[in-house]
Amino acid sequence: MRAERPAGVAERRRRRLRLAGRYLLMTGLALVVLFPIYITVVNSLLRPDQIAARPPSLFPTDPQWSSYRIAWTDGHMGRYLLNSAIVTTAIMVGQVVLAILAAYAFAFLEFPGRGVLFVVFLATMMVPFEVVFFTNYHTIADLGLLDTYGGLILPFLATGFGAFLLRQAFLTVPRDLRDAAALDGYGHFRFLWHVAVPLARPTVAALGVFAFLSAWGQYLWPLVATNDEHARTVQVGLRQLRDTSLDNINVTFAGVVLASIPLVLLLLVFQRQLVRGLTAGAVKG
Amino acid sequence: MHRARRSVLLVAAVAGIALALVPVGASPAGAASGKCPVKALDQAKSKPVDIVMWHSMPRASEETLQRLTDQFNASQGDVRVKLLNTTSYDDTFTKYRAGLGGGDLPDVVQIQDTSLQGMIDSQSVVPIAACIKADKYDTSDFVPRVLDYWTVANTLYGMPFNVSNPVFYYNKLAFEKAGLDPNKPPATLEEVRAAAQKLVDSGTTKYGYSIKLDPWYLEHWLAKAGKPYVNNSNGRKQRATSVVFDTKAGQEIFSWLDSMVDDKLALNTGPPAGNIDNLLAIGAGNAAMTIDTSGNLGTILQVLGSGQFPNVEIGVAPMPGPVGKGGVLVGGAALYIPKSSSPEKQAAAWKFIKFLDEPASQAQWSVGTGYVPVRKSAIEDPVLEAAWAKTPEYKVAYDQLVTGVNNVATAGPVIGPYSAVREAVVNALTQMLTQGVDPKAALATAADKSNQEIEAYNARVG
Repeated sequence: MRAERPAGVAERRRRRLRLAGRYLLMTGLALVVLFPIYITVVNSLLRPDQIAARPPSLFPTDPQWSSYRIAWTDGHMGRYLLNSAIVTTAIMVGQVVLAILAAYAFAFLEFPGRGVLFVVFLATMMVPFEVVFFTNYHTIADLGLLDTYGGLILPFLATGFGAFLLRQAFLTVPRDLRDAAALDGYGHFRFLWHVAVPLARPTVAALGVFAFLSAWGQYLWPLVATNDEHARTVQVGLRQLRDTSLDNINVTFAGVVLASIPLVLLLLVFQRQLVRGLTAGAVKG
Repeated sequence: MHRARRSVLLVAAVAGIALALVPVGASPAGAASGKCPVKALDQAKSKPVDIVMWHSMPRASEETLQRLTDQFNASQGDVRVKLLNTTSYDDTFTKYRAGLGGGDLPDVVQIQDTSLQGMIDSQSVVPIAACIKADKYDTSDFVPRVLDYWTVANTLYGMPFNVSNPVFYYNKLAFEKAGLDPNKPPATLEEVRAAAQKLVDSGTTKYGYSIKLDPWYLEHWLAKAGKPYVNNSNGRKQRATSVVFDTKAGQEIFSWLDSMVDDKLALNTGPPAGNIDNLLAIGAGNAAMTIDTSGNLGTILQVLGSGQFPNVEIGVAPMPGPVGKGGVLVGGAALYIPKSSSPEKQAAAWKFIKFLDEPASQAQWSVGTGYVPVRKSAIEDPVLEAAWAKTPEYKVAYDQLVTGVNNVATAGPVIGPYSAVREAVVNALTQMLTQGVDPKAALATAADKSNQEIEAYNARVG
């Protein structure tokens, strides 16, 4: 018993050392990941000649907040952010709601042609957006929706990927639950909202965040489908901030920071859901 | 069951793609035909006639363009112009093509040099030549090579607006240190090599010259040598069907670059075209000479002005190159008038374009942006005269456009898949300089790949 004690201490020490090593490594990796974000924030606060200087300044000793003011007012970033928020939220809500309804039908309802229809849904995932780009453009133009929020939202409202993802999640809902709910007199909608969706919540949240991220990052479609700052979104606005001269390079950085703030907030709020969504189904029980 | 599913899936995917590929709105009417209703402004029902111009100017240049537009709007009551920033040349062209056949199109659009054949093939613009003829507009004051660039089959399609070209940048202080004359920069490839040798031998810089892997080297140096780049008179008589750069002149250019790098006289700073590592190499003292666009001059002077490179005093000189009956090419963008606009809007667009190309406008434009004026008399404008007297480096790009011979070679190549050809050339340069591929083999590969691209493009547009 006595002889075991020092071994236990050594073991504990070794474990602690290993833990310290692991944290050190993770800190190092975190710094590598965070550095580009950090330097973007720093550059947005430096004077242009400080940004051009070598070795680079790593801390804004004399922060220039005016770059944000210029990006917000002259660069219309305020307006672009609002447009992006409206369009992106609408796309996210639309994709999640429609995907839930479609997935429910594929997972729980029996109807003729279900298999074929599901394959058609899957097939839409194989058609890259570039292929339907011009067709979509002419549809939107014919509907008179160019230069409107509608024109930015409509082509992205439904998603085959989302229906597929949620169907897989719904399939893991035990059949007994469905039967029990039916016995309790639950109709389709009550079962959907009170049983199926809560059980698949991590997947629903992951789909929502995914939809938000991809809609927020859209560039070519908003550029082609809109003509001025009334409907244009933030990525197009960012491109307009770009400059070949050094005079306003800090303004470009400020715009980048402004455009990424909503994403950072979203990730902070949904972080747990996202991680759970990614691992959901990986382990049973 | 599984196999059946998979085939259904395949059918669905193919059907989806096939549906999406149905051509949309092929344009009617012949290419060169087209009337320009220059008088239609008089019959406009209400004035001012509102027109929209799409442009791709970055912020600093956009401010100058907006100022010119404000001047124009304030100077008369017939036409009111609204500018729309479509963010980049490539994206503007994509947006423009999306608008063909019933979508949204502007009344004036700024399109880059290399998309000239694409604009002609779209059959969607009023050739500027038609406006010039209908308006009896005098073009004798324009820099001839600039007009040549946008002229195909004797028809001027786009109105030149913003023009730049590559110039030679060198560090005068390093030249002095190496015993070279800082006021006599090299003009030929042999002189560049000799200067590089001296810079390296004297220990002034590690390499003499820094090479950004840019398609310019082949395009401009063949033009300087007076040799065409593609067949059918550089695509000016009729559509080009193959490249003609795989010749002795082309091989000499590739070999020169290759030997410069092999002999450690030049530093290869790689692609892509937008990188500035070749310039930073001068700042860091690794090289003392490079070639880059005249459009970078403002930024270079700014950076040097901040005092962080005390060992650099930049000199600007005409682009050195092979000796021959030619000159440097025109780069930049032109303004086009889409046919889709109503006659009074087309007339309004023409009026605005004429204003932007007036000598006084071009002088202001040049001072504000660093672009080369497209009018000869613009250089006598007091605004531009004063600016050039203060910073004579800006004049170099203009001077080299009006020196040399003007011929088919200096008019520049017109190529449908221009960017694909450029990619093939840059890939070949990369393979030669980084993987040791023989210059002749590299150039032959570039020519083969380019010809495939041209053939595929020509088959597509018929």
